[in-house]
Amino acid sequence: MEYILECRKIFKSFGGVQALRGVDFTLRSGEVHALVGENGAGKSTLIKIISGALLPDRGDIFYMGQPVRIDSPRKAQEIGISTVYQEPLVYSELSVLENIFLGREIRTPWGNIDWKREEEQARSLFASLGLPHHFLREPMGELSVGLQQLVLIARALVYEAKVIIFDEPTAILTEHETERLFTIIRKLRDQGVGIIYISHRLEEIFRIADRVTVMRDGEVRGEFPIAAVDRAKIVELMAGKLLVEEIARRGAKGDHPLLLVRGLTRRPRFFDISFDLFPGEILGFFGLVGSGRTDVAQTIFGLFRPESGKMLFDGREVSFGSPEEAMQAGIAYLPEDRKVQGLFPIQSVAYNISVTILRELVRRLGIVDVRRERDIAEKHIRELSIKTPNLKTRVYSLSGGNQQKVVLAKWLSVTPKLLILDEPTRGIDVASKSEIHNLIAHLADRGLAIMMISSELPEILKMSDRVIVMHEGRITGVFEGPEKTAENIIRAATGERMAVAGGVGV
Amino acid sequence: MTNTGFRKMLRRREFTVLGLIVVLVVLFSLTTERFMSVSNLSNLLLQLAGTAISAIGMTMVIITGGIDVSVGSTLGMASVVAGKLLVGGYSPFFVLLCALGTGLAIGLFNGTLIAFGNVPPIIVTLGMMSILRSLMYQLLGGRWISGIPPAIRVIGLGKWLGVPISMWITVVLIAFFTYFLSSRPLGRAIYAMGNNPEAARVSGIDLRRTTLFVYAVLGALAGFAGLVYVARTGIVQTNTGSGFELEVIAAVVLGGTSILGGRGTVIGSLLGAFLVGIIKNGMVLLNVPALSEGLVVGVLIILSVMIDVIRARGERS
Amino acid sequence: MKRILDYIVENRVLFLLVLFVALFVVFSVSVPGFFTFYNLTNMTQYGVELGLLALAEMLVILSGGGGIDLSVGSMLTIVAMIIGVLIGRVGLNPSLSILLGLFAGAGMGYLNGILVSYTRILPFIVTLASLYIYKSLALIIAVDPRFGPNPMPVSSFPESFYFVGQYRIAGIPFQVLCIFVPVILLLWLLLEKSFFGRYLYGVGSNEKAALFSGINVERVRVTVYTLSGILSALSGWIITSRIASARPDIGTGYELQAITIAVLGGVSIKGGEGSIGGVVLGIAIITLLYNGMQLAGIHQIWQLGSLGVVLVGSVLLNQVLLARRKI
Repeated sequence: MEYILECRKIFKSFGGVQALRGVDFTLRSGEVHALVGENGAGKSTLIKIISGALLPDRGDIFYMGQPVRIDSPRKAQEIGISTVYQEPLVYSELSVLENIFLGREIRTPWGNIDWKREEEQARSLFASLGLPHHFLREPMGELSVGLQQLVLIARALVYEAKVIIFDEPTAILTEHETERLFTIIRKLRDQGVGIIYISHRLEEIFRIADRVTVMRDGEVRGEFPIAAVDRAKIVELMAGKLLVEEIARRGAKGDHPLLLVRGLTRRPRFFDISFDLFPGEILGFFGLVGSGRTDVAQTIFGLFRPESGKMLFDGREVSFGSPEEAMQAGIAYLPEDRKVQGLFPIQSVAYNISVTILRELVRRLGIVDVRRERDIAEKHIRELSIKTPNLKTRVYSLSGGNQQKVVLAKWLSVTPKLLILDEPTRGIDVASKSEIHNLIAHLADRGLAIMMISSELPEILKMSDRVIVMHEGRITGVFEGPEKTAENIIRAATGERMAVAGGVGV
Repeated sequence: MTNTGFRKMLRRREFTVLGLIVVLVVLFSLTTERFMSVSNLSNLLLQLAGTAISAIGMTMVIITGGIDVSVGSTLGMASVVAGKLLVGGYSPFFVLLCALGTGLAIGLFNGTLIAFGNVPPIIVTLGMMSILRSLMYQLLGGRWISGIPPAIRVIGLGKWLGVPISMWITVVLIAFFTYFLSSRPLGRAIYAMGNNPEAARVSGIDLRRTTLFVYAVLGALAGFAGLVYVARTGIVQTNTGSGFELEVIAAVVLGGTSILGGRGTVIGSLLGAFLVGIIKNGMVLLNVPALSEGLVVGVLIILSVMIDVIRARGERS
Repeated sequence: MKRILDYIVENRVLFLLVLFVALFVVFSVSVPGFFTFYNLTNMTQYGVELGLLALAEMLVILSGGGGIDLSVGSMLTIVAMIIGVLIGRVGLNPSLSILLGLFAGAGMGYLNGILVSYTRILPFIVTLASLYIYKSLALIIAVDPRFGPNPMPVSSFPESFYFVGQYRIAGIPFQVLCIFVPVILLLWLLLEKSFFGRYLYGVGSNEKAALFSGINVERVRVTVYTLSGILSALSGWIITSRIASARPDIGTGYELQAITIAVLGGVSIKGGEGSIGGVVLGIAIITLLYNGMQLAGIHQIWQLGSLGVVLVGSVLLNQVLLARRKI
């Protein structure tokens, strides 16, 4: 048996969207196999299938050489596949010991929980991993997140895991805790456990992994022993082929920046962010997961208050306490997760488009002018080519691309001065992508200032006038003109600090 | 005690409640001589036994994140069944079984609708509350039941070593459920479910079975409380048990069980029952109109829950 | 045939209409004294009092986040007592007293709303506690020191006070024509036509998206709880006027009925779904049911019981329908 876990030609789709397309994945005992890819690449879907939270539409899974059907998380745990999630699934009020053994308690002949033996076993487990074990009786919620994670690893071992999946484990850890985690992972590997390690932090991958698989758009783009690849190559595979696509731009950039951001900080998400944004300009924000771009955008939109730094909008210093305030100033934000944050699925297309401008559509007594609403909705449907049977259709029945257009329409109705787009074409078919790109360019030409967050390199290269690259909460590069190359962007995204040339007030 | 988490909790909320009880006892004994009298104190204990017993079950329900406002009607229903059978000359033991059975059946019905029908607990138990009242009325035919044979009265009124028998029973039940909740896997599963239902499900805990269990137990305990009520008062009326749910919920909430689920102890609820009982008793003795009971208890519930919420928010940040 | 049945079940309003007509026919045929002008118009009187509460529940439940108001019955009671005591014992001007009563209702609703929106306490706990608090306060207010420590109803009102509850215009009860119908129209305008209604449905169906769309979620919720208080107060006033007495036990159990009617009328317990048309039909159906049962000699207590069945059954039905629709 060469592989302890083998996935062959896994297919999975959700309501018409292909999340996984014929994915192959293998894992050996005593190996750390890293899995990388942007959000939407399919790695979480793959992991959910391996850990039993989802069933594949097609494809086979072999575990220890035998075909297997993992139809529940419980089943996965029972056969020895454990998962340590990014947000630890813990019982904060219960003791550490309980968190380890819950569901698989050691019992006395009377059927009671045998705390003593559990404690002994936990102690020896922790000792074998080189960890202290004085906190076994403490409530789990009082442990640091790093320690909680280690407890979950102990839990996996109690379940005699032969495969442990780590899903972005270091996102919430300090440097010291990360080091400790790696030591343990190495120990586990030496003990013969197969480890799947998901992370977007490439430096870590190179520290801990033996092999790496890169995914994008539901497919495996490459699988290599770690020595045979470098960071740049991985980013290139993650972010997409370097198609040279052009888009016609006619508008000119305004003279005065609409938005000035200086020293914006919100620990631990982003630090010292400074940039200018001009009307008529598309400012692209590139970076890997966790780089802090969405946090910056949501802070600008008033969902959060920054710790320090200032913002000037339209010449005035501003501090928005709520999206309502930001909207009134003329800022619109298209969220990353359109279903949860952007749409009202059971409401009609017209409703979704007009919800942001209701105050303006109001006649006497607060009654909404339905005719004007209809006109505006129809105008947007025309301009954005939204395919819907009629205005009353509930948006949950529209395709992903059309849903995104509805959200776009909703924000265009407020005729904003600044439009923030967060992954505007994620999960959308190619044809609609192109349409939306044209629309965005058109809006910029009409004088809107656009901040576009994207994890797709071709999209960033194609659309942006300038590109700001973020890494772990800081700006690591600003590029425009001849410097706006895939190579520069990739290097900055992996953490190389580039000369911050064109960021501020060029 | 096998769990440091358990012990630490005890350090906080339960002792606060105990302290409050002591304060109130001192306050009341100073302001009226009747408070500290033997007859008053034993009366007090007699009355709160039923609340304490039901509070045990309610604690578990609330820990899982649910609620049951039908417990008063369950007590009433069980009282009617018990009353009729007793007057009809059946053996006390048989009557006990029937009272428990009635409560159990009601609890199972609630639990089934909640666990399998996905109907919110407040809705199910609200509906059940009124259905039971109707049935009670039908069974009583609009009349009272009186003339309960003396043999059974000992459960409600009898004493052993000066302490009411019903209180002894309560203590035994508390001891048992304390043990159950801290040492049995099903008991810990109740906490797990209340703490993090998602994690519990993934760990393989059967959420439905656990839900069914807690509502069934509450029903059975309320049924027993109904029997105790009949034994104590000797009568059953159409509005028996009305408003009881408020006392029970108050006892549980004041005793430290968080309405958000995941934490709470039955001992805390016992103390909570004492607190509620003493407050009521004190109010009566001080000639504060009984009408204010709802006011006082309601405000206390809100304050108590607010403290929980503030604490939860503090922990999260 | 199955498809027709399916369609009717899916379209709640149609379903209720059919149910209403069916019940009406059944009762007209089998219960003597039902199909008379006097009885039918009498029925509408009860419908108003309960109906206002049901509309209140509709508003609150629509706002989502576990929205529910268990205190509507108690708010009704306490406002009834306030009005009664102010007019009957204090001797205050009736119009002023009524105004104060309505204001008190708004205040209590507002308090509920603040607690629900700004602390994270679950609505059912907040309103459960306020149910008992207001019930207790009503009893306290009802105590007339001149007659001893027990709560007493107030029955001494000026003649003018009764016309709201007892007067008829062309045979139709005043409160139906001049209060209930306007309220329904206003609420219909509010929910279906105004921007607030849009906000409410938005908050109820997707709180996160509402926040991201710039809607002030808290303000929407506080508003509906306040409206609930006002509607309960209106009902308290009308009831007192009709039975010519302010009684401290009047509102007991009404919350259950109000919630049942709302849920029957198609309001989803999760929020964000439900139309006022359905609720109005729900009011009609339940009122019909009560009246029919009463005329048929079935004891009042059975109304309560059957209501419990309807409540649980309606929610179950809603759940089933929700499961069918895959989002």
